Amino acid sequence: MTIEKNLNGKTLEIKLSGYLDSGTAPDLEAVLSETLAGLQSLVLDLEELEYVSSAGLRVILNAQKEMSAQGQMKLIHVNETIMEVFDITGFVDILTIE
Amino acid sequence: MAFMKMAAAALVPVLCTLAFHFAEKKTPFQKLSDKKKQLVIGISFAALAILATQFGIPVNGAVMNVRNAAPLTAGLVFGWPAGILSGLIGGIERWFSPSGDYTRLACSISTIISGFLGAAVRRFMMDNKKVSWFYGLVVGVTSEVLHMLMVIFTNAADMQRAFHVVQSIAIPMIAANGLSVMLSMLVTSRSESSGAGQTKKAENISQTFQRWLLACVLLAFVATSIFIHGFQTRLSAQAADIELETNITDVKNDIHDASERLLLDITRQIKRELPTEVTQADVCRLAEKFAAAEISVVGPNGKVSSSSDPSLLGFDVASNERRAEFLLLLNDEQELVQEYSGGLEEPSAERKYAGIALSSGFLLVGHDLSYVRMQVDAQIKYMARNRHIGQNGSIIICDQDGAVVSGRADHAEEYIPIFDSAKSLGVQEGASFSAEIYGEESYVMYTKTEGYYIIGVLPKKEAHFARDASVYMQAFMEVLVFAVMFAFIFVLVNKLVVENVRRVNASLAQINSGNLDIKVEVRGSEEFASLSDDINATVSTLKHYITEAAARIDKELEFAKRIQHSALPSVFPPYPNRKEFSIYASMDTAAEVGGDFYDFYLLGEDKLAFLVADVSGNGVPAAMFMMRAKTLIKSFAESGMDIGEVFVQTNKNLCEGNDAGMFVTAWMGILDLNTGIVSYANAGHNPPAICRSGGEYEYLKTKANFVLAGMNGIQYRKNELQLRPGDAIFLYTDGVTEAQDPGKHFFGTARLLESLNVARGKAAEDICGNVLADVSAFAGESDQFDDITVLSVKFNGKAQPSTLRLVPDMNAIGQTADFLERELQALDAPVKVSRKMKIALDEIYSNIVKYSGADRVEIQCGAENGVLMLRFRDNGIPYDPLEAEMPDISLPVQERDVGGVGIFMVRRMMDGMEYMYKDGCNILTLTLSLQEEA
Repeated sequence: MTIEKNLNGKTLEIKLSGYLDSGTAPDLEAVLSETLAGLQSLVLDLEELEYVSSAGLRVILNAQKEMSAQGQMKLIHVNETIMEVFDITGFVDILTIE
Repeated sequence: MAFMKMAAAALVPVLCTLAFHFAEKKTPFQKLSDKKKQLVIGISFAALAILATQFGIPVNGAVMNVRNAAPLTAGLVFGWPAGILSGLIGGIERWFSPSGDYTRLACSISTIISGFLGAAVRRFMMDNKKVSWFYGLVVGVTSEVLHMLMVIFTNAADMQRAFHVVQSIAIPMIAANGLSVMLSMLVTSRSESSGAGQTKKAENISQTFQRWLLACVLLAFVATSIFIHGFQTRLSAQAADIELETNITDVKNDIHDASERLLLDITRQIKRELPTEVTQADVCRLAEKFAAAEISVVGPNGKVSSSSDPSLLGFDVASNERRAEFLLLLNDEQELVQEYSGGLEEPSAERKYAGIALSSGFLLVGHDLSYVRMQVDAQIKYMARNRHIGQNGSIIICDQDGAVVSGRADHAEEYIPIFDSAKSLGVQEGASFSAEIYGEESYVMYTKTEGYYIIGVLPKKEAHFARDASVYMQAFMEVLVFAVMFAFIFVLVNKLVVENVRRVNASLAQINSGNLDIKVEVRGSEEFASLSDDINATVSTLKHYITEAAARIDKELEFAKRIQHSALPSVFPPYPNRKEFSIYASMDTAAEVGGDFYDFYLLGEDKLAFLVADVSGNGVPAAMFMMRAKTLIKSFAESGMDIGEVFVQTNKNLCEGNDAGMFVTAWMGILDLNTGIVSYANAGHNPPAICRSGGEYEYLKTKANFVLAGMNGIQYRKNELQLRPGDAIFLYTDGVTEAQDPGKHFFGTARLLESLNVARGKAAEDICGNVLADVSAFAGESDQFDDITVLSVKFNGKAQPSTLRLVPDMNAIGQTADFLERELQALDAPVKVSRKMKIALDEIYSNIVKYSGADRVEIQCGAENGVLMLRFRDNGIPYDPLEAEMPDISLPVQERDVGGVGIFMVRRMMDGMEYMYKDGCNILTLTLSLQEEA
């Protein structure tokens, strides 16, 4: 998985490509733990991301929890499979997906 | 005796004909070439003609024989060369033969003509075929009539003799020759037709025509003959009358003259001796001297001055009518003799008077008839002796009692008996009548004079010669003319009618055999032109209707064909996701719709049923029966019956209501895709070809059961065979093996094997394609007789799932992902399916790594029946993810946890999830359809 960060003031846009599973989730988690502090807005662009496993969900959930406390987070360009995962797991209720 | 000889002679050619006829059929003679046969037959029949000449029966200087029959028979029965040859030899031999000089030329020529006549009739009138007995008779008679005419014409100088000769031989010779030829025809046609059931053929036109014409001509012939005969008889009778009358009148005059001369002589002598002065005594003396009945001297005053009969003295001559005639002597007349009359004194006595003029008055002398006769008899005794009426007729002079006074020198009869009968018949003097005189039937006429009967006799034979000659000649000429006429009519009818009818028939035969493009073009006459036009118009109308009807039927059959074909699976590959087998089939119907069919379908997930069948016959009935059979087989197969039972039930159902007596041959197999076992049954079908273990194709020879729908209650054996991956079966119908090349050779089973082996190992479609191409190339231009149906199944075996074994470790997660990626690509899995599978792999593998405590894990991936399978096997602690607690997915975000979500996601995304714990291992199997959800 590749992670592209684009920080613009208090807004961070992260573009993910490849897949977010138990192998790659720790990488994203590490990036987020460094950069989330003081952010008002986090945008995850999943256009190039193929799928998300439960390990990835956990990273996304933690990010959501943190951002809920200090600002907002949204996911853009979610593909069908990932959308289905969010559906199944009830994540659609807690995530902002555009 | 002569008749017997004649009959025997006539039979010889018949026997010879029979002998050759037999020889031609049953002996080595038949092996001779035609030329040699003709030569042998020609010479043999020439020998018969020569024999006939040698053994002829002499009649009146001619020789009666049956010579002409031989060349005629040879020509008519055996062929024109034999006829001509025997005619020539027989004719030339006759010329040099010493017998019968009189008819030498005629016989010789007529024999040669006979040969040519028989040959010509056969060659030109009968199409070189043997003629019927009727023609034989006609030709035989005609040839002999020609012969007779030749005899007459070659002896024209003496017609009468020639005619007599002909008259005596004509009828027996014509009859013998005619019958001989006729019998020859009859015996050969009899022996030909005996045995084989003789069917009476209808007469052809010219035969009918000839038959009726013959009847008419015969009638006319008889009528004219009777008329001419009657007419000529009258003519010759009249001529005979005239001849007789002339002759007897001559004789009568001669007698008359003789008696007159006698009387005058006596009277002159008396006159010389008469003194100048006549006295009664002188007269009496003279009367006595000259035996006169009366001598009177009449004076110039017409009165008797002196007479030997004193009572007459002074008798006035003028007072007696008869005597008054003598008064002429007083004038210029010098001598006068009077016919008989009664004397003056004895009126009953027949007396004849002669008178001579004297210087004054006249002398009258009367003699009694008896005296005169006595004197005249001596004179007329020789009068009839050398007289002839015609050639053989005669004059006979008799006295009043019938005693012959004078007759023909060569007949000594003294009395003519007919004389009485003629008298009693009351035949008038001077009228002719028939009587037999001198042993010959003759015309007779008589007259009386001076006490004599003068009888004229003319033999009828002579009187009738002209009549007979003309009747014969006419008959001969008529026979000839009619024979020629018949020949012409035969040729004309043949040319104008029969030939044209034959041509019309020939055209019609072609039309009948299906060629409607034939035009009848017989334009020899207006009638045939019109008939031709009518036929052509009818045929073209018919053709128009047929074309229309054919087009309509074609269209409907085309529909039927489409329906039939659409009932067969025709999308290939039919199961793109099934890798365990490949199948291909094709049907090419000969007729618009055929009786062949193939079929295949999956029974459940792991069985493939496939079959090829052939319904007897083709066309719509076969196609309908085929649909029935196909439906029945499929429904029984799908109900789960074993293959034998499927056929048993299908047979039972097809037998019901199979009034048309149709049947189906079929070979059906059910392939178990897991094990490769094929259970099959064969209902009278061609053995399939099977290719095993990379070897060559060979026929699967197991005993077939009876055809389907043939008989109720048949048991069908279920057979089994084992297929290994790579093995293939090829099914076909007899349209393949019985395809024919233009030389009518069959494609055959050997060629089929060759063709299969060339494509061995290739895909099912290529195998079928190769066979069809070979059959098509073999057949070339020739028509396809039967439906050609092929089906090929290749068994690939069950796909073994790929396996990855490793020690559970988080670092190896990429390794597992790569493994899955590879397998998914190999299976050509859709993207979404792949993603879900990848998620599942990540979840389950990470679970195993984290929680199972296993030190060994095995991951298998494969697909079967269109279903993707992912299996995990680990030796960790038993854990059934299906019993894992469901996470609460409705909590607010801050209370959320992702524990248990992974398993939950997998359960939701997979189509199937199975867990078992076996041999110390957790085995979890995930399945997902390869088909993307709609």
